Amino acid sequence: MRKYFSLLLMLVLCNGLFAQNVDAFMRSNQKIYVVTGVLAIILVGIIAFLFFVEKRLKELERK
Amino acid sequence: MINFFKQQWWKWLCAGLLLYILLAGMLIPLGPGITSIQPFVFKTDSVYTFSIKGYNTNFSANNNTQVWFKAGQEYFCSVSSKVISTDEVQVSFGIPSAVASRISDNNYDVVLNNDDDGTISLREALTLLKGSAIEIDSTLEAKVTGCKVEVNRNQANVFAFPFREILYESIRNTFYHVPMWFAMLMMVILSSVFSVMHLKSGNVVHDTIASAFVIVALFFGAMGLFTGMMWATFTWGDPWPNDPKLNGAAVGVMIYVAYIILRGSITDEIKRGRVSAVYNIFAVVIFILFIFIIPRLPDTDSLHPGQSGNPAFSKYDLDSILRMVFYPAVIAWILLGLWFTSIIVRIKNIEIKNL
Repeated sequence: MRKYFSLLLMLVLCNGLFAQNVDAFMRSNQKIYVVTGVLAIILVGIIAFLFFVEKRLKELERK
Repeated sequence: MINFFKQQWWKWLCAGLLLYILLAGMLIPLGPGITSIQPFVFKTDSVYTFSIKGYNTNFSANNNTQVWFKAGQEYFCSVSSKVISTDEVQVSFGIPSAVASRISDNNYDVVLNNDDDGTISLREALTLLKGSAIEIDSTLEAKVTGCKVEVNRNQANVFAFPFREILYESIRNTFYHVPMWFAMLMMVILSSVFSVMHLKSGNVVHDTIASAFVIVALFFGAMGLFTGMMWATFTWGDPWPNDPKLNGAAVGVMIYVAYIILRGSITDEIKRGRVSAVYNIFAVVIFILFIFIIPRLPDTDSLHPGQSGNPAFSKYDLDSILRMVFYPAVIAWILLGLWFTSIIVRIKNIEIKNL
């Protein structure tokens, strides 16, 4: 839990520090990086789903 | 449906379609368009030199590149134009005060045409400021008015996605954000069908499938919200603009979060199946109400395309090349949802057996 929390905190801090640069970067090259960001979110979502499935499978294996 | 889950072919179809939408969605180029014009303000009676920047364009001296300026319904021609490179053209243009005074609109659109790119434009590109410039060119009226607007080709001569202002390359998100909601809608509709079947039969298998569909629907709902926030930040300038469709979608997701909580709170298996099935049938109606009906009410104004009385995905929103990737994308994400559901159903069935 602490691991996730620290990761989240890091992301929020990074966002605060580099918000201006990130904004300029995302708008560069005709906003193509917005598509990259959306695909990254979907990938993270699918991996989160895999973790969710794995957690339930682990419980079944223990029984 | 249960037999369909056991089959294998549609998983291969899903994988193939996902690969197709990823490759086609990222590799097909964006069509030509005008990104900017410098300077963007000017005064009457003097000739200015404007630099027009294009994207994926083929400006050339050989392909009849012409530039017009449009205010209201009237077209004005440029004094002269010079092609610098394939994506830059320099144009001399000015507006006499006699002409400017009879046009109520102070915003001028730039319209450009050549034989490769077709007609491309930048709306409200120039703003006419009050007052005249110091150098006055009295022959200007004859130069810019009364020109002929003749074009050989209106559509670009390329296989490409349409170039839209503000969206630009992020129009590709049509294949990665919009189908999330289509998939979620499909999942909640299938879930409610299984809830009805559970109420009729009392079979616990139907209840399991209905709840698995809701979990996957929530997955797609979360993906739709997060990808939408990403897209909105860089196109509408705010991750959460006060948009009726957005708020409706958020409430819709909340309704299904409540479904999961409701299921968790009832321990008796038969009671849980019955209560959650009834809730689910109400939920799907309210979900459709929030997603489709409320954003279309006449007094609401949504940023999403096709709102306030207009059906979405009219011919103006999606052109034929977007459709070629969009429809496979909808099928691919729905099949991925079915795949996820089948995995959750199998885990739940083992859990029930182990009890």
